[in-house]
Amino acid sequence: MAVVPDIAGGERASQPFAALGEGPSRAPAAWVSALVSRARDALPRLSLPTTGEEAWRFTDLSGLARESWRPVVSPGAVDAAAVDALLIDEARASRLVFIDGVYSPGFSDTRGIGDGLGVAPLAQALRADESGVRAQLGRLVGGDVDLFSALNTAALGEAAVVNVARGARGRAPIHLLFIGTDRAPASAVQPRLLLLAGEHSAVTVIEEYVSLGEGRGFTNAVTEAVIGENAELSHIRLQGEGAAAWHVGRVAVELARDARYAGVCIASGARLSRLDLAVRLGAPGARATVDGLALLDGRQHADSHTLLDHASADATSRQLYKSVCDGASHSVFDGRIVVRRDAQRTDSAQQSRGLLLSARAQINAKPQLEIFADDVKAAHGATVGQLDADELFYLQSRGMPAAQARRLLTYAFAAEVVERVPVRSLVQRLRARILERTGLATVETGR
Amino acid sequence: MSAVLQQLVSQPYQHGFVTDIEAETAPRGLSEDVIRLISSKKQEPDWLLEFRLQAYRHWLTLRAPQWQNVSHPPIDFQDIIYYSAPKPKKQLASMDEVDPELLRTFEKLGVPMSERAALAGVAVDVIFDSVSVATTYKKKLADVGIVFCSISEAVREHPELVRRYLGSVVPSGDNYYAALNSAVFTDGSFVYIPKGVKCPMDLSTYFRINTQDSGQFERTLIIADDDATVSYLEGCTAPRFDTNQLHAAVVELVALERADIKYSTVQNWYAGDENGVGGIYNFVTKRGLCQGANSRISWTQVETGSAITWKYPSCVLQGEGSSGEFYSVALTNHHQQADTGTKMIHIGRNTRSKIVSKGISAGQSSNSYRGQVKIGPRATGARNFSQCDSMLIGDRCSASTFPYITVQNTASTVEHEATTSKIGEEQLFYFAQRGIDAEQAVSMIINGFCRDVFIHLPMEFAVEATKLLGLKLEGSVG
Repeated sequence: MAVVPDIAGGERASQPFAALGEGPSRAPAAWVSALVSRARDALPRLSLPTTGEEAWRFTDLSGLARESWRPVVSPGAVDAAAVDALLIDEARASRLVFIDGVYSPGFSDTRGIGDGLGVAPLAQALRADESGVRAQLGRLVGGDVDLFSALNTAALGEAAVVNVARGARGRAPIHLLFIGTDRAPASAVQPRLLLLAGEHSAVTVIEEYVSLGEGRGFTNAVTEAVIGENAELSHIRLQGEGAAAWHVGRVAVELARDARYAGVCIASGARLSRLDLAVRLGAPGARATVDGLALLDGRQHADSHTLLDHASADATSRQLYKSVCDGASHSVFDGRIVVRRDAQRTDSAQQSRGLLLSARAQINAKPQLEIFADDVKAAHGATVGQLDADELFYLQSRGMPAAQARRLLTYAFAAEVVERVPVRSLVQRLRARILERTGLATVETGR
Repeated sequence: MSAVLQQLVSQPYQHGFVTDIEAETAPRGLSEDVIRLISSKKQEPDWLLEFRLQAYRHWLTLRAPQWQNVSHPPIDFQDIIYYSAPKPKKQLASMDEVDPELLRTFEKLGVPMSERAALAGVAVDVIFDSVSVATTYKKKLADVGIVFCSISEAVREHPELVRRYLGSVVPSGDNYYAALNSAVFTDGSFVYIPKGVKCPMDLSTYFRINTQDSGQFERTLIIADDDATVSYLEGCTAPRFDTNQLHAAVVELVALERADIKYSTVQNWYAGDENGVGGIYNFVTKRGLCQGANSRISWTQVETGSAITWKYPSCVLQGEGSSGEFYSVALTNHHQQADTGTKMIHIGRNTRSKIVSKGISAGQSSNSYRGQVKIGPRATGARNFSQCDSMLIGDRCSASTFPYITVQNTASTVEHEATTSKIGEEQLFYFAQRGIDAEQAVSMIINGFCRDVFIHLPMEFAVEATKLLGLKLEGSVG
């Protein structure tokens, strides 16, 4: 595994990201170096997005640029019990753990992954199937489009790779756990994930970001997922970093013929988080379900930009995005559905629902449909509002105090997305997190 | 889709002709001198000249917007004639004195003044290339204290009203084209409905762009005082030209306490030919301010013409309990482009807004709905409902929906829905089964699709709009 050294020059320290683009200490293969140097070459012409740009209109990154970010020199110390508490029962023997972006063999365990599956850090994945990884790494997210993917690619020395062979089916969900510690101030980690589901295969991957502590730091993650013919990827992305964290993530998914993608992205952490998720339905029969939940409080800001790109005929997409905003938090949802020319018989439906719990909270929703074919079913709906007065009244009429009724309805609102996670113990954990957030933790909820 | 339908949509534009009236025109191009010329021609007071010059100086600092979903070659603002007016004739006392040439123009449009004036008592303020030459029913309106005249006349007769409200809803620096309009506007309508008056008839203006290469910059200002009610109709056609013509109008509505303004538009300007050559650029800023409590502003539009339609009739809901409505049908065919929608800005408590938008795209056209619903922090109890439906006819056109929703208040509710559909084979088959040919079937399906909007149009317009859609789609459904 590669440890990214601290090579920030003193004279560059005034630029927020200069030190992050210096490249990894060593690349696992020559072609990876080529990828890295292309991204590094692109960096000078890429700048930090501003609110003047449509895609960043509601998300202000100027605070992020006030720090001079540096790569992590060596991972912080973690307590084994603390890590153990983060593990998911079903995935105890199918997990990779990264501490501050650095692969931790000690905390990882891949004995239970089953036949035909490769779950490994990059160098090891290359030894197993170099040509397969080489064909896909950096293909969906190149290093020359926007600043963050360029920075991530320029630092590409490590990656978490899930490589599922043709026809293989994962026995257990795979847990890719990225733990941040409160290490040196202004340190940044740039995780990279590559998920490859071969033809007719099926796998569940949990991509999770957590902090032990406040989470001071910047995470800039990139995930590429390529789903082969008739393969199925269930992808759960959990962003639960500490209250001081900055989190920018990009997920790019590509579906082949009859491939299925089921994504659930839950953002409950970080002071500011942004996720760009793009799904390309590239062949007939492809089906994508993209669900999301933002659970915000305090001064948190979560921005979710999704693109469902119907590039082929006869594909189906479904989307449900929910946000719950308390305190002075701010949720942004920008959901774009594009139906390209000749993508006939597309069937696409999107729902976004926002729940405002406090007078200082704010929600921006921008569902978009762009349709260039005529034989299409496409619909979107968006609502932003408060808890339903009739429902509150109903619960109160059964003797439930108003405050508790409000919490219960809030819980139910958020739980709809959580129920879509296919991992049982994770659902329970997420439910508990919502209960805690809504102040219902002590109330019996019936299950 | 059947080949029969494909042939149904290409009826040529019927209103393509040029009326030859001697016009007095300003030199081509835009400068402070041209603005001073316009101002002096119109014998305007100093404050208005100052308003124009300020807008012009601000416009110089602006850059043309880029975010819209329409494309056109850059506009050469120095190649436009900003002022052209029919030679002043003696003051007209009755319709008989109106230039017969002008009357014939309206005959050709199929809207003879006499008939139109008779029809349901509609007063028509005829705008013919920038200067009003005839105003009917003025006396009847004057009896109840309503002012309905050209804005130039209003500047002379009611300077205090114009000065107070001009630019109060759309400030001169609001946007690129509003700034341009503020600098060079030549004419438009002015309406003032005094307190407690219900306007006895629908007010109507027939716009018409004449004189090749003369962009029109109308400025319309409608003020409804406390408890006043008015319905205003705007209808447009333009002669057939191959040079693109810019139309950058500004419409401002002000509704005071409990006032009610209904503004209806049928727009059928020249859209260019089947290959996208020529046609009007219709870049309009329309905004209404519900200033008083419980006031109401309702926009209804049927947009079928213009090479490019780009406008967002909006409501600023400031007064407590005020409401805004927007009903729109936008039809694009051939190479037409439309980027239209609305903004509902909720500021006051218990404000309500409703948006119903129907987009129909055929041929190789592009039709976008873009809307903003903003619930401000003090708009407690605000309520919005939006519905945007698109219909695509043919596989070379596009329909897009870009709603922006911003909510900063917990005690408010916003709902947005959008769907996309097409005219199904089964529907056509069903009609054919009952002996109704494809052309009629399409017309009926489209009218059903647009019904939610048409029911809000005044009667004459509803009839006209229904015919217009059928006409516009002939040959494109297939």
